[in-house]
Amino acid sequence: MPETHVMSEPSLAAPAALAGSGKALSVQRLRKTYAGVTAVDEVSMEIAAGEFVTFLGSSGSGKTTTLMMIAGFCEPDSGSIVVGGNDVTRLAPQKRGLGFVFQQYLLFPHMTVWENVAFPLQLRGVSKAEQRRRVGETLEMAGLSKMARRRPRELSGGQQQRVALCRALVYRPPVILMDEPLGALDKKLRDQLQTEIKRIQQELGLTVIYVTHDQEEALVLSDRIAVMRDGRIDQFDTPQELFERPRTPFVADFLGAANFLPGRVEEQSADHTLVRLDTGGLLKARPQAAPDGARVRAAVQPGRLLLCPAGDGFCTGTVETVTYVGTLVRVTVRPLGAAHTDLVRLELPAGHAPALGARVDLAADTANVSVFPDAEDGG
Amino acid sequence: MAVLAPAPVSTAPVPGRKRLSRALSERRTRFGLLNAAPVVVYLLLLFVYPIFSILMLSLKGESGGFTLHWYTDAFQGANLEILLTTLRISAETSLLSLVIGFVLAAAVSRLKPLWAGLVMVVVVVPHFISALVRTYGWIILLGEHGVVNNALTDLHVPGAPFQLLYNELGVVIGTTSVMLPYTVLLLYAVMKGIDRRLMAAAASMGAGRLTIFRRVYVPLVAPGLVNAGILCFILCLGYYITPALMGGPKQTMVASLIDTQVMKQDQWNGASALGIVLLLLTFAGLLLLRVLKSAGERYRNRGTAS
Repeated sequence: MPETHVMSEPSLAAPAALAGSGKALSVQRLRKTYAGVTAVDEVSMEIAAGEFVTFLGSSGSGKTTTLMMIAGFCEPDSGSIVVGGNDVTRLAPQKRGLGFVFQQYLLFPHMTVWENVAFPLQLRGVSKAEQRRRVGETLEMAGLSKMARRRPRELSGGQQQRVALCRALVYRPPVILMDEPLGALDKKLRDQLQTEIKRIQQELGLTVIYVTHDQEEALVLSDRIAVMRDGRIDQFDTPQELFERPRTPFVADFLGAANFLPGRVEEQSADHTLVRLDTGGLLKARPQAAPDGARVRAAVQPGRLLLCPAGDGFCTGTVETVTYVGTLVRVTVRPLGAAHTDLVRLELPAGHAPALGARVDLAADTANVSVFPDAEDGG
Repeated sequence: MAVLAPAPVSTAPVPGRKRLSRALSERRTRFGLLNAAPVVVYLLLLFVYPIFSILMLSLKGESGGFTLHWYTDAFQGANLEILLTTLRISAETSLLSLVIGFVLAAAVSRLKPLWAGLVMVVVVVPHFISALVRTYGWIILLGEHGVVNNALTDLHVPGAPFQLLYNELGVVIGTTSVMLPYTVLLLYAVMKGIDRRLMAAAASMGAGRLTIFRRVYVPLVAPGLVNAGILCFILCLGYYITPALMGGPKQTMVASLIDTQVMKQDQWNGASALGIVLLLLTFAGLLLLRVLKSAGERYRNRGTAS
């Protein structure tokens, strides 16, 4: 392996200054194709310092490719990546000064926990005393002080990932990238580490870009979520916005597992759109520019549906299944009035479960119903 | 980081004898011993007995009786020189095989499986050819009017033709070519087992290529380097054909000396002593391997936080 590489860390001292300047990372019209297939298509975004941003999408949505391009492990066909004011688009990963947490931890097996965390500091010529202070602090914060002398293989998966996290943040990179870091852990540990990652991120004011396919995880962790599909960002918004005002059927489905109810626009007004459902009922939705009579789909999440007295709802049906999920009960209802319609899914507090086969009426708040033109296929 | 801490030692009491007798009384153990018996008899008869008789020969005086005379002989004058030459050539060969083997294995481990397989075949196949034939091949290549020297002369390389045979260079070239498959195979196996994403991880936190090589790659290959180096060294110690054919009188190695003593001088006692010395050197090599391994382990377990 030739090529002597001289370390240059212009970004090392930067984070403090960056926090003031606001913008930690800017991605402009990033594009990547593999053998003619577009993996990432014109992705642009601005990320503020101290922000926790998640790329959410299923596999093949381009979320990981985008992350890899930001990290420098994969070169974009076009577009630019700017970190803290420096264009790093064509820079090797080691010259970008970013932090990366891998799904497979990738701790150095020949080094102890302590040495793993000290490694990036040694690369930066940090003095021994300073190394000791910072590694000690970081391990302490992650609750790993007692593990300092252990080797990675003597640790559990959760502990290993905590060490990897320490190793990525000990040198205070301006942005830390995380590629499904909790993907290899079981549910309970995942929940625990989510809380921990969030706590550390907030405590230290870290800027984090996080990749996951788990919408719950994205909702718990993120300040903003970029929902990705087919190499594009469908919507980049706060969790609340995404949840309550999905801009595409895909977002409504992916984040909220929404019910889609087909119908026609019956009436438009400034504060609502009235939809005549195929099952016969009338449903009031948030305003959506669509011509009267246009085919649309009204989307409403299972948790936003309510049971109501007969005649007050938009839909009447019979209860087909009732499933208890802890404090919630999941109910499916077969709407009356149309031959071929999907079951409507509800989530109700456990105490309010209707009986199987019961006839129920469903209602929803106008603010919780979105309308999408039928032409746009949500997949 | 430089603070040495003793490796944690398990202090749990082990009821040694009790456990042994219990193990012996187990059916499975007895069955296992029964299975091992043929091999044990075979080894005792064809391996332990000959070595033992050679040991006895090396301790027997010319008129019978016990003597260390043959050993003092082995460590004196020309014999000592031959012993040192053997050690030196073995060390040189091991080092050269390690360096070439490392570069080759590192390159092959990055190739696509098909190409890697092909290169490995090229590396290993010469091993299937008789050592004698291979050595004559080298002689044809390296002779004063051999392919290499002719090419160098035609290119007007100053000093050509070079003396590439019948000196230490010739021996080292020859033995290295014999040892190379071992180092390449051993190192290749270790290198294939290294997760390449570790290098990406190191790069992500700012390590340059050289640093990654030095701090991550080499330490991970190190156990393989130690193994391959010692194996090479041990194999070289007793190697005979190539040094005999490609070296000059100054490159006589212990194996050749033993050959001369037995075949030309009918001197079995001296030859036996030399053989035992080689055996002990081999054991020393294996011991060194263990020491290096435990030292490596201690180095890795050295105290960090204090």
